[in-house]
Amino acid sequence: MSRVFAITTREFASFFRIPLGWVVVALFLCLSAVFFAQRTLVPGEPAEMRTFFGVWWFLMLFVTPAVSMRLVSEELRAGTIEPLLTAPLSEWTIVFGKYFAAVAFLAAMLLPSLAFVGVLEYLARPDYGAIGAGYLGLLLLGMLYLAVGTLASTLTSSQTLAFLGTLFGLLLLDLAPSRLAAQTPEPWSGLLFKLSPSFRVADFARGLIDTASVAYFLLASFWFVALAAIVLQSRRWR
Amino acid sequence: MIQVKDVSKFYGSFPAVRGVSFEAAPGQVVGLLGPNGAGKTTTIRMITGFLPPTSGRISVCGHDTISESVEARRKIGYLPESAPLYPEMRVRDYLSHRARLYGVPRQDRKAAIIRAGDRCRLLEVMQRRIGHLSKGYRQRVGLASAILHNPPVLILDEPSNGLDPAQIRETRTLIKDLSAQRTVLVSSHILPEVERTCDRVVIIARGQIRADGAPPELLARMLRQVPARHVVEIYVETRPDPETGGRSELDRIAARIRAIPGVAAIAREPIHGEPTDPTGVRVAEWVRLVVMPEVTHPDLREPLSRTLSSATVLFRELRRQAPTLEQLFMRVIEADTVPVGASKAAEGSGE
Repeated sequence: MSRVFAITTREFASFFRIPLGWVVVALFLCLSAVFFAQRTLVPGEPAEMRTFFGVWWFLMLFVTPAVSMRLVSEELRAGTIEPLLTAPLSEWTIVFGKYFAAVAFLAAMLLPSLAFVGVLEYLARPDYGAIGAGYLGLLLLGMLYLAVGTLASTLTSSQTLAFLGTLFGLLLLDLAPSRLAAQTPEPWSGLLFKLSPSFRVADFARGLIDTASVAYFLLASFWFVALAAIVLQSRRWR
Repeated sequence: MIQVKDVSKFYGSFPAVRGVSFEAAPGQVVGLLGPNGAGKTTTIRMITGFLPPTSGRISVCGHDTISESVEARRKIGYLPESAPLYPEMRVRDYLSHRARLYGVPRQDRKAAIIRAGDRCRLLEVMQRRIGHLSKGYRQRVGLASAILHNPPVLILDEPSNGLDPAQIRETRTLIKDLSAQRTVLVSSHILPEVERTCDRVVIIARGQIRADGAPPELLARMLRQVPARHVVEIYVETRPDPETGGRSELDRIAARIRAIPGVAAIAREPIHGEPTDPTGVRVAEWVRLVVMPEVTHPDLREPLSRTLSSATVLFRELRRQAPTLEQLFMRVIEADTVPVGASKAAEGSGE
């Protein structure tokens, strides 16, 4: 476990040692502030962040691939994967360490946005339950997206390809179940709908924390990260 | 410490390494020598567990690199070719990170970093970013990270690649220092480096071991197989003499040398820097002859000197020129399939 932590801390710190990390945080916060001012800070509207979270979920489609694209791709490109894979570590340690770093970076990126909650508190009395659930949904969605990104990153040494692969994968993951569900009879259509992350995350914005949805995000994330570890393992056997 | 038994590696149908076998004992510095593309890096990557062999078995300190991969990797300090590092990290942070990956206990970590930094003369750059360091320093950071956990086996892939002569000398001294209680495997395509650093040389070419032994031992084996050539410089007439049927004095002397038992071949070699005679008056000149003996007659100095004396020819040089390790290396790597003086282990593996 200490080795997973060693990988996580190095990876997390590396996000802030390169311009990309700061650019992603700055862009995310700027866009959030604009949407917050336009959609939430509207006189007469309830002091909630539901529409705001809706925008963030959309932004996640582009932000998470930018965060995850370098996780393993950069190691493959720079050759640093060799000292890593010849250290006494399993591929699972490496991949999970890196994935946790990406999740920690996402959480760190969301942290300054709590200032928006402070603004709401100053102006009105917001519903903290709904806001807390919204943040949890955002984090869980981000975790799933980052897991897909981690998998894409193990497949190529090109960060651009990893970014595009993740974006394509996320669109497929998000859109395919709902599109297929529309053309499928019950009970399959209901089941397919439940496989869509955007369908699952909608409840969180309303302040509902469904344990099935939490389990869905955690299990799906684990599944993609585990797949990434297997892909990395398979590189050793070529 | 390192046991490589009949190991082969195929990339698709391409055989990168074929039937390689060798051992490296504690306290021994073994050089893996070969031209680029010979299979050195592939062999090293299989030993370090980065690549699996297609067939054969490798063990490090008694741990199989496949079935006990993590235990085997724990025993190895590895410097990959061109020392890939994280350029954005500071040297101290990088070494600390590597120490954590290798499970160096928290209380020992600081001392281990200082010890490795001191050995590799990195203490003055500990706070600098790796990306801002020179190639030589980066190589040292890679080396320091390889010895942090005090491994019993040290594997260095082309450690002096891209270094200047002074840095190469430093690296050589460091490797010698580090070999005291360790098994060190160093790969290189630079012969003098291996010759000066290693107790034993394993020459690899086209994925096969071609020679294995201590440098002087290899040279002795080579001498047994390819005897030293003899160089003679004589003062003779080279123009055809009509009185002797158009044969020159040189032709006659060469024929007498050729008649010596044990002479395989004789050839004339130009003497560079010898002053010419612009007047054309001089009838004789200095000529260098190279005499190749047969394997059965490795030393022809005595019969040569007798022949030249009896022919009353003036000679200013008669020397036996042993092949250098460089020539041995070239001969060995250019050989098509037959291993030259390969180790018993390699021979036993059916090469």
